Amino acid sequence: MIELKNVTKQYESITAVDDVSFSVQPGEYFALLGPNGAGKTTIVKMLLDFTRPTSGSLSLNGIPSTQAECRQSIGYLAENNHIPPSLSGWQYLLRCAELLDINRSEAADHCRRIVELIGMQGRENTKVGTYSKGMVQRFGLGAALMGDPKLLILDEPTSGLDPIGIREIRQLLESLKGNGMTIFLNSHLLSEVEKICDTAAIINRGKLLVKDTISAIVKDGETLEDVFVRLVKG
Amino acid sequence: METSKSLPLITKITKYTLIDEVQQRSFVILFVFCAICVFLIRGCYQGNYMVNGQALDAGTIVRTLSKATFHVIGAGVMVIAALLSMRIFRRDRNEGMQSCILSKPIARWHYVMGKALGLWVVSALFMFILHSIVFLITSINLKVFMPEYLVASLLCSINLLFVVIAVLLLSLLMPDIVAFLCVLGIGVVGFVADGIAAASQSQIAQAMLQQPTGHPQSDLTWWKVVYVLWPKLLGVQQLASSLIESGASRGFGTIYPLINVLVYCLILGALLFKRFRNEDIV
Repeated sequence: MIELKNVTKQYESITAVDDVSFSVQPGEYFALLGPNGAGKTTIVKMLLDFTRPTSGSLSLNGIPSTQAECRQSIGYLAENNHIPPSLSGWQYLLRCAELLDINRSEAADHCRRIVELIGMQGRENTKVGTYSKGMVQRFGLGAALMGDPKLLILDEPTSGLDPIGIREIRQLLESLKGNGMTIFLNSHLLSEVEKICDTAAIINRGKLLVKDTISAIVKDGETLEDVFVRLVKG
Repeated sequence: METSKSLPLITKITKYTLIDEVQQRSFVILFVFCAICVFLIRGCYQGNYMVNGQALDAGTIVRTLSKATFHVIGAGVMVIAALLSMRIFRRDRNEGMQSCILSKPIARWHYVMGKALGLWVVSALFMFILHSIVFLITSINLKVFMPEYLVASLLCSINLLFVVIAVLLLSLLMPDIVAFLCVLGIGVVGFVADGIAAASQSQIAQAMLQQPTGHPQSDLTWWKVVYVLWPKLLGVQQLASSLIESGASRGFGTIYPLINVLVYCLILGALLFKRFRNEDIV
């Protein structure tokens, strides 16, 4: 589903990602972990062709990430997601549906189902400018789920949310597990990752430290947080 | 990507750009203000104008004034088009639409083309409506029908395409306001140069040019080349306004300005696509 081969990204003298290679299989719930500035968001941006690698290659479903076709069945939620304040949540979802070439009658059905899924019934027709950060995040997640994507890329999906919001997002992601969807999750919240994901990779200063199943990474008597701190602090 | 898939995507992005612009409060205020200003000129048509002691006939007054208004609207909307274009990428970036669109199976050139076309359509419609107000005033109040006025407006919209593409390109390379000022500068220099060129055609200027000046001949040639190659925005306006002249005897004049601006649009458009392809999406 996702494959990175010897990917390096340099910003002038800074190496944001240093010769990283790993793959994520279909149906896997995968978490990319690392401290701030480790290169997690850079990897996500390279997957979506928002920025190009200095060397190496990335592919999605066997298609190079530089080709627009590879994003055919991908949903993406950005870190600190924004939505134009002049639109309503419904209009935003409708635009996302139209951009995925879903016809107008089907798009309305899709939007209705998604509004229900993200628990925003009754608020979908008000302007985004009146929404709280959590509500914007939910609509962002709703937009990412538009068109039933096979791969969901979530960059810090719980960023800025209160504990209740975090729990709701987690429950929503868990509810998707049976659909065969692949999830690529960038997160700081190790306890959430431990509950949701099957596999994880930890990177620090652009280098891949480990990539395995959560159960293999976390030894007896340890938590994911213990392992993370041990690996990152060297 | 196939054309059958590309066209609907570009059309959708164009539509969203158009809707987003029209919904901006600043745009609405600007439009209403311009429409009122144009509407106010109807009083100018009702005066008695004398040239060399002879009263001008109504038809001449209408055409002369309409032509002057045509140029003022054309130049004014170019400034407005530059203002609208200078912030479009930044606003899309800040509001999350750029990453939302480009995370879908949409190529960057679709996005850029959709944005450029959307802005062009918005500004061309803006100009067309203002020109239509003049057309309606002359048609209803003065009973002078000038359908060619509207054709001239459409022809003049080529200038807006140039402005939109140039500002979009420069806004990727420099701060938005500097991009706006640069394109404004290109326009002003072109207008001034064309004005000087027109004045130099006068007999007095011709006589002055024949005096020994001490400047080497090569300098004059160099400046002539720059002048000829400079974006001919005023030339396109003059070409368009030549349609408004009564009687078709003057014809369309030279079409060189049109070709000049179209070539610039193609070159700047290619540079815009190339530059945006390498842009990091935030």
